[in-house]
Amino acid sequence: MKHLHLENRKPLTKLRITSFYFAILFVIVALLGLFTRGVELGLDFTGGYLTEFSTEQSIGQEQMSKLLTEYLPDNFTVTSADKGTHWSVRQADMSINLPGKVWLNDFAQQNNLNITPQDAIYIGSQVGEELINQGGLALLAAIVTVLMYLSLRFEWRLAAGAVAALFHDVIIVLGVFAWLGLSFDLTILASLLAIIGYSLNDSIIVGDKIRELMKTCKDESIAQLIDKAIKLTLVRTLITSGTTLATILAIWFFAGESLSGFSIALFTGILVGTFSSIAISATIPQLLGLTADYYINKKEEEICLLP
Amino acid sequence: MNSSRKKPKSRAKWQNIIMLFTLALLFISALPNLYRDRIKIELTPINVTSAPVALEQLSKTLTVHNISFEKIHVSKASSTIELSNKIDEIPLMTILSNEFNESYLIDSFTENNTPNWLKTLDAKPIKLGLDLSGGVLFVLDVDTEQALTERLKNIALDIKAVARENRIRGANVAENITENGSQNITVNLINASKQQSKTLFSKIKKTYPELIQKQDDNNQRVLSYPRQQIVEFRQETMKQTLKTMRGRIEELGITEAVTIQQGKNNIRIELPGVHDPEEARRIIGATASLDFYQLAEHSNATGIIRMPDETGRKLTLNSKVVFSGSNIKNARAGQDEMGMPLVNLTLDAIGGNKMSTFSRQNIGKPMVTVFSEFYKNSNNKTVKKSKVINVATIQQHLGKQFSITNMSSPQAAQELSLLLRAGSLTAPVTIVKQRTIEATLGVNNIANGVKALSVGIAFTLIFMALWYRSLGVIANFALALNLISLLGLMSLLPGAVLTLPGIAGLVLTIGMAVDTNVIIFERIKEELKRGRKMLPAIESGYQSAFSTILDANITTMITGIILYSIGYGPVKGFALILCLGILTSMFTGVFVSKALTNLAIRANKSQLLGIKL
Repeated sequence: MKHLHLENRKPLTKLRITSFYFAILFVIVALLGLFTRGVELGLDFTGGYLTEFSTEQSIGQEQMSKLLTEYLPDNFTVTSADKGTHWSVRQADMSINLPGKVWLNDFAQQNNLNITPQDAIYIGSQVGEELINQGGLALLAAIVTVLMYLSLRFEWRLAAGAVAALFHDVIIVLGVFAWLGLSFDLTILASLLAIIGYSLNDSIIVGDKIRELMKTCKDESIAQLIDKAIKLTLVRTLITSGTTLATILAIWFFAGESLSGFSIALFTGILVGTFSSIAISATIPQLLGLTADYYINKKEEEICLLP
Repeated sequence: MNSSRKKPKSRAKWQNIIMLFTLALLFISALPNLYRDRIKIELTPINVTSAPVALEQLSKTLTVHNISFEKIHVSKASSTIELSNKIDEIPLMTILSNEFNESYLIDSFTENNTPNWLKTLDAKPIKLGLDLSGGVLFVLDVDTEQALTERLKNIALDIKAVARENRIRGANVAENITENGSQNITVNLINASKQQSKTLFSKIKKTYPELIQKQDDNNQRVLSYPRQQIVEFRQETMKQTLKTMRGRIEELGITEAVTIQQGKNNIRIELPGVHDPEEARRIIGATASLDFYQLAEHSNATGIIRMPDETGRKLTLNSKVVFSGSNIKNARAGQDEMGMPLVNLTLDAIGGNKMSTFSRQNIGKPMVTVFSEFYKNSNNKTVKKSKVINVATIQQHLGKQFSITNMSSPQAAQELSLLLRAGSLTAPVTIVKQRTIEATLGVNNIANGVKALSVGIAFTLIFMALWYRSLGVIANFALALNLISLLGLMSLLPGAVLTLPGIAGLVLTIGMAVDTNVIIFERIKEELKRGRKMLPAIESGYQSAFSTILDANITTMITGIILYSIGYGPVKGFALILCLGILTSMFTGVFVSKALTNLAIRANKSQLLGIKL
């Protein structure tokens, strides 16, 4: 693993710089999707219609859900109560053309069910406006704090690299959702959180190695040092991302519809997170003019690491 | 960095003891998750001499109706079916009673086979989310009309006070509900001069610019809200009530509840992990509101209300509210320097201003806290019931932050602070519907999810064992301990709720834990390449990888904590799992696996789990 085909140093630097420009391109494409198509917000954000009805017979949750899938257009959630005789169906605002109890009678007739309609009513969103604002503020606060902590522990250019990689990852995942037209709900928002965690983790491992090499190997250029740091951490990066991606693939294939959006978000997130830890968080410090002798004052005598 | 430095042996010993103790504690907390409630249905022959239903017959019935079961037990006296899914309980009961009702007694019961010693420790399993195990649904009715009435009442009182200040006698202020249901205030000034009434109405205009003033006849004006204002007021009230309900649920630490507006005047709350509506009712809290009054100086002055306190003493209150519960931002029970119990209050800006003006003028005088609850009477009308819960003396000029002292006991302080925190509803709220809801994800979906996660974990474990050999085995052991610790930690927190995405998040924290080990092992390999011997390489690998791991995890932790404190719903739940996962993965990945490695090496200095060093 350690002697991959990255022996020659210059091509790696070139590769890094090229992939950095690719990363910028990806972000632009993602932003384009976000601005032209927008993310299709799920029921949690938009609110919608709630239809309640009861059935004479007790029906299994999955069976009802299957029956409704054939009948109702887009995303909906169905909740059963009172031992499978009372049902609440939540639909997004788009299905406004099927309001109220009208569709219910059709549905009952088609499936030969004895249904008593109970309620058809507008429901609000789970996430209020103030929560969206608060969430944005929280994210900003989180990023500033992380930037501060990393600047304190590392060097501001390394910190900037990590935060830029973070933005890159989140924007691309959002872009994927915009381009594929997938519904974005609170669970996806939660998975963005995990992506943030992974992205920071990856960037810091690489950044830490760069810092260490800067302290120990003084007579090499910064480009060489970064290349070396990437090579030294490559196995770790591949193993960690690999095992995690395998787990997510398992969720994607076996867990079915209910977690598919979640696994798509995480899969893209971790994939681009691994990419950005090399292409962005390791390259930006170099582009911002980090020099190899930054830590020269801090005396730590140790032998230079072999690649 | 320096691996030759030797730690004192006793310190390492202490570390190990603390580690073992922590692991044991978390392990015990995780134990109750093994024991879930089981639903059993028992068929007993009515005639004692006849035989119970045979096993084959029962299993045939169950297969015909496609109901899965754990096991069927047939004893001499009865036959018992243990169900796999709670949802099958009722359908099966109907099927069985159709088939066996004539000669058998059919009874269902829930059994939890948690051992008694665990029950006495009060250890509880993790609560499962709405998607996995359902919960309780409440629909609350928010009486915005009543809130408007209250608002008008206060305005009327204010107008009366202004009239008094301007020495207008015989001002008749009344709030009315007209035939078409709209509400207004009539102000009748019989004895006032033209000049006086003009000043009064312009003053009202200034304080309440949103009110429309209409001249009725010479002496009377009707004040009412324009329609637009009423709609806005209603929306505002709904928003505020929704926020309060969310706050209360959050206050209890429940992260995965659903709280949404339903229709024009209703709020729909779905609480996970609760199956008893009465318990949930307590969680939502009293549908109550709080107001703070001044004690009236003259019992015969105009604009007073009479109310008995807890001891039955009659109090006369100045009917104008100083500030109400909706102005309270926070309330915490505490102690003063002397150790006396008290409640610390924080008001919002509006409440702070009101309190500042009021307290400056009333130092040394008492202030009364009135707790009101609304309920629907037999005519389905909302009725308000009020009681005095506290009388406190104002000691000094107060602002946004002050405390209520003179509490009888710490418990009383605790209860008052809870009420104060919960009391910020402006509109009467009543529960109109409550119902137990079932899991939103079907049984198959849940089973698939669990299968997927098992496959993922299995893959990771096998890979680690193959790639890192003996160290990988240790890492896997640490991973297993990590999972158990995380489950234990989550069981300890009363509000942590596990959903299917949450379980996936749990598995992802395993990714973080794997990473911890991988960083260490890669570091050990590096040290070996530099020519170090195995033992010092392991020692220095663990030591120098620690700072990397710490940096990476602290940064993630920062984002996790911030998102937990501000996030909502699944985001909050996920952030919680993330933070706990980081804690346990640091603990097991660094400390426990180090101790395990040392243990394995100490047992045989020349090899590590069968591999030569």
